[in-house]
Formats: sequence, C-alpha cells, structure tokens
Amino acid sequence: METGIETAAGVAKQYIVVEIGNEQYGIDIGYVDNIVRMQEITRVPKSQIYFKGIINLRGEIVPIMSIRTRMGLEDDVFTNSTRIIILKLEQQGKFGIIVDEVREVVTLNADKVERTNMSVKEGRESFINGIGKNGEDLISLLDLNSIIEEDDNV
Amino acid sequence: MDVSQYLEIFIDETGEHIQSLSDCIMTLESEPENKDTINEIFRSAHSLKGMAGTMGFKRMQHLTHDMENVFQEVRSDKVKVTSEMIDILFQCLDAIEGYLENIKSTSDEGTEDNEALIAALNQFLAQAEGAAPAPAPAPEKKEEAGEKKADGEDKKKFLTIQLSDSDKDALKNAEESGGKLYGITVYVSEECLLKAARAFLVFKAVEEKGQIVVYYPALQEIEDEQFGTDFTIFVTSDEELNKILEAIKGVSEIVDAVGEEVKAEALAGGAGEEEGEAAPDVPAVAETKKETPAPKDNAKPAAKAKTAGKPVASRTVRVDIEKLDALMNQVSELIIAKNSLVSISSQEESDFQNQTFREQIEYLERITTTLHESVMKVRMVPIESVVSKFPRMIRDLSRQLNKKMELHMTGEDTELDRTVVDQIGDPLQHLLRNSADHGLESAELRAERGKPEVGSINLNAYQEGNNVIIEVSDDGNGIDTESVKKKAIERGLVTPEQAEKLNQKDIINFLFMPSFSMAKKITDISGRGVGLDVVKSNIEALGGDVEVDSKLGEGSKFTVRLPLTLAIIQALMVEVRDEKYAIALGSIETIEDLPTSEIRFVESREVINLRGKVIPIVRLDKVLDSVPAEVEPESLTIVIVRKGDRLAGLVVDDLIGQQEIVIKSLGKYINNNNKTISGATILGDGEVALIVDVNTLF
Repeated sequence: METGIETAAGVAKQYIVVEIGNEQYGIDIGYVDNIVRMQEITRVPKSQIYFKGIINLRGEIVPIMSIRTRMGLEDDVFTNSTRIIILKLEQQGKFGIIVDEVREVVTLNADKVERTNMSVKEGRESFINGIGKNGEDLISLLDLNSIIEEDDNV
Repeated sequence: MDVSQYLEIFIDETGEHIQSLSDCIMTLESEPENKDTINEIFRSAHSLKGMAGTMGFKRMQHLTHDMENVFQEVRSDKVKVTSEMIDILFQCLDAIEGYLENIKSTSDEGTEDNEALIAALNQFLAQAEGAAPAPAPAPEKKEEAGEKKADGEDKKKFLTIQLSDSDKDALKNAEESGGKLYGITVYVSEECLLKAARAFLVFKAVEEKGQIVVYYPALQEIEDEQFGTDFTIFVTSDEELNKILEAIKGVSEIVDAVGEEVKAEALAGGAGEEEGEAAPDVPAVAETKKETPAPKDNAKPAAKAKTAGKPVASRTVRVDIEKLDALMNQVSELIIAKNSLVSISSQEESDFQNQTFREQIEYLERITTTLHESVMKVRMVPIESVVSKFPRMIRDLSRQLNKKMELHMTGEDTELDRTVVDQIGDPLQHLLRNSADHGLESAELRAERGKPEVGSINLNAYQEGNNVIIEVSDDGNGIDTESVKKKAIERGLVTPEQAEKLNQKDIINFLFMPSFSMAKKITDISGRGVGLDVVKSNIEALGGDVEVDSKLGEGSKFTVRLPLTLAIIQALMVEVRDEKYAIALGSIETIEDLPTSEIRFVESREVINLRGKVIPIVRLDKVLDSVPAEVEPESLTIVIVRKGDRLAGLVVDDLIGQQEIVIKSLGKYINNNNKTISGATILGDGEVALIVDVNTLF
C-alpha cells in the first residue's frame, strides 16, 4: 500500500496537486499519463457506481472514475476548471479520475512526507498513503492502488 | 551459454517434428513395411535428438537418441515393427511432448527421466543385437572428425577466399587503424543442427577479444544457415591469436578453428581476377571445397544429403503473433479515421460536398476494407494445426474403450483467425471424446442394428459466409431424449408437466447445462459433467455457438459455428434514449415495426406473434438501465435477433444504420457484471458506442 514514499531522505518526488472537494490531493507524477479537459463520458450499464463510464482518448477506450463518488463525497459539479487526469498503472493500463481543478506541480523531499497509517475510520476507506508538507499547505498523497482495489467488505 | 533466443524456434520445430512423428507412426501401424515412412521417422527422431542436444536438454536427447537407435535397427531390417513397439513409440512421443511442455513454461525440460520407456526401447535393441551385432555409428563419426583435425594448411580457407571490393576496403581500413589482423576459418560439427546458433556463439566469443571485420559468407547468409560446415571471419584484435582460437573452440560442436595473422594487401591480391563477378559466393565455396583433401570431400555429400532430407525451405516467415496484433490495431485505427472522414463528408452543411472529394473517400474506403481483409488473411491459419492430433487421439480412445472406430476428416485446410484456432482445440477434443464414448455403441449392439463393425466419426470443416462451420458427427446411438428428459426431471430442472411440452431441441439443450452428465459410469474419457457446458462456454467466448442434431439409433451431429475474425465486425447501430449501441449484424434476423398493441403476455413475459412465430421481447432500455421512457410510443421498432435457432426481439428507440466497427475492450477496471456489454467502439465523430452482446439476452 505505501509504495513510492519509502525512498531515502532527501530523494525528491514530484506531485501534481489537484483539488477534490475542499481538499488538496497530490498524485505521484510518475503515474500521470495525461491531463485532459472534461468531455462527454459514455455510461456503461451495470458497472461499479463510481465508474462514470468510458471516453475516447485518441482512439483508446479509457474508463473514467468519479473520485468523489469513490470517496463517498457529493456528486461532481462540472465547471470550466474540471479536468480528467489519466493515470497509468503498470499492469492494468489506463484509467482516468475526475478532479475539480489542477493546481500546480510540487516537488516534495522525502523528509517532507509523513507516512500515514490511517486505517478504515468511521466505516470509510482511506485512499491516501501519506501527507506532504508544502510550506503551509498540507497535501494528501493519493494511493492509487487502493482507489482501484475492489472493496470486498462493502 | 545463451541460447535463449533460439528457444522459440526450438519449440516450434520440435512441435512440428512431434506432429510428423505422430503421423508417421500412425502410417507405420497400418503399413509396417513402408520404408519411406521408416526413413522419415528416423530423420525426425534424429533431428529432434540433435536439436535437444544443441539446446542442452539432456534427458530429451537421451530419449530421442534411443528412439533413433530403434529405428536404425528397423531400417536395417533387424527388428520388425510390432504393435507393442508402436505403443511404446507413442508413449515416447507423449514423453517428448511432456518435455516440450516443461520447456515452454519454464525453459527447462524438467527432471522426468522416463527410464521405463528407455528400458523398453533398449529391449527392442537387445532383440536386434541377438540377430546381429549392433553397429556403432557414433564412434566412427568421431574418428572422422579426428582425421579432419590432422590436415593443416588446406583448412586455412581464409587464404584462398575471393573477397569483394568493399570487404577488401574494410580490411585495409581495419589494418590501418592498428591492431593485428587475423584470418580464421571455423569448422562446425557436421551433426550440428542449429549452425547459425553456433556461429552466433562463436561471434560472441570472438567479439570479447576483438572486432570482426569481414564475414564470409556474409553475416546474413550465416544467420540463415546458408553455409556448409565451415565459415571464415577476419578479425582485428590486440590479443594473441591463440587466445581467440581457444575462445572459439570453447563453443560446443565446433570441431576446429584455424587461423593466422594476415595482411590485407596479400589477401586482396589473390582476389583480383574474380572482382567483376556480382555473386561469386556460391561457386567460390565449391571451388575451395575441391581443394580440400579427401575426408572433406566425403563430408560434403553427407551434409548435402541431410539438407535434402529436410522439407524444402518454403516461402514463409515466422512472425510473432504480437506483431500481427499490433498491425491489426493499426488497421483498426485507420478504419476509425476513415469512418470519421466519411461522417464529416456526409454532413449536409459540410464544405466537402464536391464530387472528387467524395470519390476519393470511396476509394479510401475500398482500400481500408481490402487492407483489413489482407491483414485478416495473414492472421489466418489452417485448423490443421489443431485437428492433426485427433487421429492419434481416436486411435488411443479406440484401444481404451475397446470399440472399433475410424475418424474421417475433411476441410483441414479451412482457415481461422489464429486466436480462435488456439482456443478451439479443447472444445473439439471434448466433442470427439463425447462421440467416441457416448455416441458409438458397443460392437454387439452395432452388429444387432446392422451397422458396420467399425464406427465412424466425422469432422468436417468449411467456410460459410463470415463464419466457419466445424461439424463433429458419428453414426452411433444418437441422443436418447427420453432418458435426458427423465434425468432433467430427476434433477429438478423441470417438472414432469413442463417436460411434456418440451421439444427435442429444448431437451438436448439440457446436455449443455453445467454438471449435467448422462454417463452412467464416470470414465476416464468423459462423464464428469464438465464436458458439454465447458464446450459451449468456450465456443461462446469466441463469439460462436454450437448446435446439436440427433436421431436416436442413427447418430448425432454437433455443429460449431465460429466467426472468421474477432476484431472488426459489421454492426447495426441503434439508439436507446440518447445512447448509441451496436448490435452485431451477424445475429440479426429482421427488423420489424409493430404497433405497441401487438404485444401479448405469456407467463407474464412480453411476446409478439410474428408471422405465426411467438417471439419473446426484450426491452433494451430496461436491460441497459436507461432513463425510463415518459410515454409508451404507439409503435415499437423491434430488432429480431437469433441465437442458434431461438429468436428474440430487442426493442430499440431508433435505427441509425449499418457500419463497420472496431471492437475495443472495456479494460480491466470496469466490472461489467452481467456481460451484456461485450466491448466498445469509436464512431466516426469520435463518440463512443457500446456493443451489446445479444447472446446474453436470451
């Protein structure tokens, strides 16, 4: 689960900072394939509730997840700054998550990252594996594996 | 030693040799005296031995070596072919296949020594030795190799080779740039089967010490194994010649390597006269060979004879299936782009209304369609590769079941997409076993019914439109629908009253239900109830279907229908609410417009009565969880689809039209629970439409 942040102190990693709900989340830039504007999503019947559907990304079919629905937040409100972040995991290929806004790219040294052990709290799953300190701001670092893992207990 | 890059070739060729051995041994069983067949078997076993040896698979080499020995005796008429021997030989083949399977999955042959088989083989040899002392071919050959080592100067072929201008220049340049220039001629063992592999290893060893400047014959020819038992290289190096020669001799199956320091000038001088000739390679080889003394001359015809034994090099190339997949993907992209152009040009307000533009679009359409067909053809392989193992299987079954039977096959050259062929083997095997075990009656019953003593099983394959049909039939007992019905009632699948109303087809369909086995006794061959339902699901996974025809007492016929291709299909685009869906054209029967008042209810299911046929209705909007319709329209558009011989009517909102679509997978993330959606496709305008798998709606 805690992959990617167990690097030696001083090793820096880049994160894309996005806004979901009122919080800031960081996504390891190594997993980011692309960032695209919001576009029409084709609904796939009978799929998991948090999968909005699929899009055509330059001839490739990519499933799109509503990270808000996945985290149990209220539904997405699509605005001009809404973006789809296309992520690529080694084994399973690409998928996209919808975020409210893309803020910036930050570089965090490993010593600025605090590993979290937040387990399942209040019946809600945890999708982060660390918290990064960028000056005054706190950035929750998304754990992509836990996002795509099927929750067996729910 | 790195031979891994030859592993795939080894696996492919071993497979081919096993198949040819299997075919030959079958022939041998019916014609034990057939000399050609015996020779063919000997050659195949010999090649297998050599290949296994080269790759370092010792156990496999041992087994094939003993097989070869037995055939050596058969060939020289010292042993007679007996049915006992045939059985052992088949077991040997199975063992070799076992090794091959291990190699495929782990790159290692495993640890099974098959001592029992080797002992059995040696027993045949012992019989032969009783008749006459066994010849010892192996030591003889070694002596020959020893003799060759003895002669000195004449083996330095690099002194006499005719070099081309460019080679001479290369040598001169290399000499000028410093280091010593050596000419080296390497001799490969006559028995070596992967000569190119050996040459490759030699090059690798040499390149650790220096640089190879000129290859003779050319590198390409060496890689294609177009050389006799020797080849020559010119090397620049700072190392001592001896060290290089030692490194070369360290490679196995290299008989000898001779070399000395040379001057580019001296070599070039000798070649002066021949310069003008464009392709001197082949005659040059012959010439140098003539100059070598007697033992070498003997060796040459031997090597020639061996190559003659191999099938003539066909005009084919082996291509990795992944490369073909990539090619197919690119063709798919092209078709999507073409569809997009078509959709732009057909828009009424578009600027592209002029005649030439539309003509060019049509031209493009024709090209992409032909291109698609061509790529598909490249991916097609004859089903022969799968069905060729069946005669052997039936022979074994015949023994096991103690029933006489024969397999007749037609249409082995029928072609199917590679991915389909790879997966059709198991289902067909199930069907054949089924026919052999359940279908054919015992000998007594056949005699009683006045049928020929030998039961026949037929496997016919042929192409029909966009489908390939494979029929497996037998002249056996046929399916006893009464007892199937009884069993279905017993298992609580239907009530006795319902059962009365079922027609023959419905009853036969019970056979395809999971764990529904009719076998009274569970045998090794079939009857574990994992047969027909697996056959059915495997075939359906390939986009095909299976049907049964049967007459009690006369036999039954299983008809397997498979699509020619999996990636690109013709589809009807329909609209449900605002969403677009594709339905494979192949499964569509007709399209009807009916007033809503025509809908009737049978057992609270909606049906329509269409020209005397009662057809159940499926509301696509409900299946697909679409927004419910506000008002029921006055008339319904119903697409009648067929699965096997059942029909169903799909209610859609609107028809868009027919289109060639490229099937794309939804990927691994989306969990499409009931499999109604089999994939997605990208339309001309970039929009995504989902493909409805009609088979799941029945």
